[in-house]
Amino acid sequence: MSRVTRIAAHEWRTMRRSRVAQLAVLMLIVLSVVAALTAIAQRNNSDALRDRFQAQADQEFEGQPARHPHRMVHYGHFVFRPLPALAAFDPGVDAFTGSTIFLEGHRQNSANFGDVRQSSLLARFGQLTPAFVLQVLAPLVLIFVGFGAVSRERESGTLRLLAAHGATARNLVGGKALALGGVAALMLAPALAALLWLVVAQGAPGLPALGLALAYVAYLAMWVLIVIIVSSFAHHARTALMALLGIWAMTTILVPRIAPDVAVGLAPLPTRLETDIAIQRDLRKIGDSHNPDDPHFAAFKARVLKQYGVRRVEDLPLNYRGLLAMEGEALTSRLFDDYASRQFTEQRRQGGIAISFGLFSPAIALRSLSMALAGTDLEGHRRFLQQAEAYRFDIVQRLNRLQAEAVTYDDDSNRNKDPEAGRRVRIDAEHWHEVPDFVYRGAGINEKLSAAFPGAVVLLLWLAGSAIAIRLAARRLGEALS
Amino acid sequence: MSLLAHELRLFLRQRIALPTLILMALLSAAAVFSGIAEVRRQNEIIARIQPQQAEDVSAVRAWVSKDGDAGSAAYYTFHATWDTPAPLAFAALGQRDVAPYVLRVRALALESQIHEGENYNPEMALPGRFDWAFVLTYLAPLFLIALLHDLHSSEREARRMDALQVMARSPLGLWMRRIGLRVGLLFAAIALPFAAGAAWSGAGLLDALIILALALAYLLFWAAIALLVAGWRMGSVANAATLAASWLALTLILPALALLAINAAFPVRQGVELTLAQREAVHGGWDKAKEATMQAFFRHHPEWRDTTPVAGGFHWKWYFAFHHLGDLSVADQINAYRNGLEARDRWTRWLGLLLPAVGVQVATHRLADTDLAAQLAYQDRIRSFHGELRRFYYPYLFNDVPFREADFAKAPRWARSPF
Repeated sequence: MSRVTRIAAHEWRTMRRSRVAQLAVLMLIVLSVVAALTAIAQRNNSDALRDRFQAQADQEFEGQPARHPHRMVHYGHFVFRPLPALAAFDPGVDAFTGSTIFLEGHRQNSANFGDVRQSSLLARFGQLTPAFVLQVLAPLVLIFVGFGAVSRERESGTLRLLAAHGATARNLVGGKALALGGVAALMLAPALAALLWLVVAQGAPGLPALGLALAYVAYLAMWVLIVIIVSSFAHHARTALMALLGIWAMTTILVPRIAPDVAVGLAPLPTRLETDIAIQRDLRKIGDSHNPDDPHFAAFKARVLKQYGVRRVEDLPLNYRGLLAMEGEALTSRLFDDYASRQFTEQRRQGGIAISFGLFSPAIALRSLSMALAGTDLEGHRRFLQQAEAYRFDIVQRLNRLQAEAVTYDDDSNRNKDPEAGRRVRIDAEHWHEVPDFVYRGAGINEKLSAAFPGAVVLLLWLAGSAIAIRLAARRLGEALS
Repeated sequence: MSLLAHELRLFLRQRIALPTLILMALLSAAAVFSGIAEVRRQNEIIARIQPQQAEDVSAVRAWVSKDGDAGSAAYYTFHATWDTPAPLAFAALGQRDVAPYVLRVRALALESQIHEGENYNPEMALPGRFDWAFVLTYLAPLFLIALLHDLHSSEREARRMDALQVMARSPLGLWMRRIGLRVGLLFAAIALPFAAGAAWSGAGLLDALIILALALAYLLFWAAIALLVAGWRMGSVANAATLAASWLALTLILPALALLAINAAFPVRQGVELTLAQREAVHGGWDKAKEATMQAFFRHHPEWRDTTPVAGGFHWKWYFAFHHLGDLSVADQINAYRNGLEARDRWTRWLGLLLPAVGVQVATHRLADTDLAAQLAYQDRIRSFHGELRRFYYPYLFNDVPFREADFAKAPRWARSPF
């Protein structure tokens, strides 16, 4: 091994003498530090802001005066998606998904105020985060530093000199890879320090953070191998550089843009407007609450009357209007869930198609893996949407139940004609306090790992492929030397 | 001319030349093709929603027209709006994948409707679209670097430089021919598919020419950078590395840093604040004295001042009045939010003067009408359409005119887009 380390040490000295290499590595480290600091500050600010908005919304909900419960159904509630601590490392799709949803009866609103819609086109150039620096920029710096590692020696004839001193091609390739790996480690340092800081000081979960660290180590290790492989095969340093630049542009810039276009083309999603209309259409088919002779609601009425053994809704011990509201909400909510799960299925299909492009682009695999572990992937947003919908249904039904239990049918029917009844249907504000606050449950470790799995498999394939290819490269180089 | 033909022969004999040009042309054509397909899909969706929307309205009409309650008509009828893609949208798809281009509104308070988002997969939107503007901004400079990085240095490295300089009638002419040839061929490779797409989409000639001129200017900028670097007389390898590093800085790093700075300088939390405040204002309307609400409303709509006063517990005109007052109560925040967004956009345009990659993106997306300004313009049209809707329903509500079946067809219709 000592020969390998000697070659590595020599390569290090050569690289340290190269101004371009020095500058590139230094620039990357500075960018990495800047990215880490700003991303941490930004995530803390956004999270604090969302927290404050959530507290304000909770307070406003509880501070509502005495009201008819159905007024509260329409007053609704706002929920905000908290940002996980690891979003400071990889914010993932956070900017693309709205962070707040308005929850109300009968309707399912979208999550709004995502940063991308609120930003100029610059947002589409990419955000400077530790993840972006490592995914996109670090490989390029490795290319700048390492393209000549073997090819330059080959070009200048020093390769044979080394061989004459007894170095085998394997020693040589190993030593060069080790040296470039050292550069990669240097570039990883700020991001890993940021991860450690997030775990220690910001309460980020340890295991996913470790997974992230390992994934980026594997990714950069793979790039180190690719650079050395190409450098070994190329007869000229320039060929190596151009080939590597081509590979980089293809795998990190071009394919990641083509993959989603193909996925969206193969599995298109219906627009929100069409989904809205479709839900209304289905709802009319099940039961039209505006139609007094509707069979569904007629059957519902008969069922309720039978259950309480009375003949008229006026004789029910509960306010029939509240019961009707609960039934209506249950119907719409079931449709919302149906359509949402169809949409999620399509989105997963898109994700599956996109990740299969990871075979042409390790960046796609790493991005997916990284977002999944950080909890900032589509699954994270989906979890928020589902929990928000469940919460919406829960509070709306609580309020409907209040209408059924705390408001009499008589008062409810006469609330607009009789001012006294109108006063009585406004039930005590105490009731709003009984509605629990929204608590978002982030992804657990198992959910994160299973979401990260496909990306991890593809990334490992790339790493394994590179490990095999570097052996081939060493053999070819050995043949050239002998 | 024969000199140029000679240079062309020399150039095409290089191993890197033809593949580079063909690949560039293929990528440009693929981007144009996929852009046109996307625009066609968007147009199809806009066409597809029309019958669905008509069916939805007719379902509301069926039960509302029975008792002719204008309030129910105004409350339950959704009105579709859409933003037809501009002819050049295929070249720069822009924000149309993350912002809705079809949206339904009701005559209720608008601020809780207009910020609605679209159902899209954020993971698919994250990397950005593969469109012609992307090929031009990001890929074309890389291809140009591949063609130009060794123009001088390879001659020097092959020790032909002195001979060349001596033999050429005018050395300047020689280099101009060589650079012009490469830039020209690359420009043709990227521009021809665009021109075909623009013609196919029926884009305005002037707009298309401006984009082509910009593309040429952008390539010339990168050629100038290549010349500058060549002037430092480094080897081909160092040239290529330096040029690639400049590309990295100009198209990825500096725009990302600028985004951080601009978004930090102009926070836009007013968006959330205004929706929270608007909800309070709208729902507070239930608890205010009806007469006070109506008086406040009449200050904005004096034409209804002399109608019958609101009596009893509920009247639709009172309901729609406090909804509109809810929107008005956050007018300042709407302005502040809008100003914040426009400031972000304005500073990006300024930045475009410094960073050519940003400048090209800004200009193409402006001409393609797919930028933030286009999104805001669509919102403005929705706002004015919403005003029309309100004013359409008010006579029925305030004059207690029943809303009959035929009245549904009289509702304002979303005007055709300017394209």
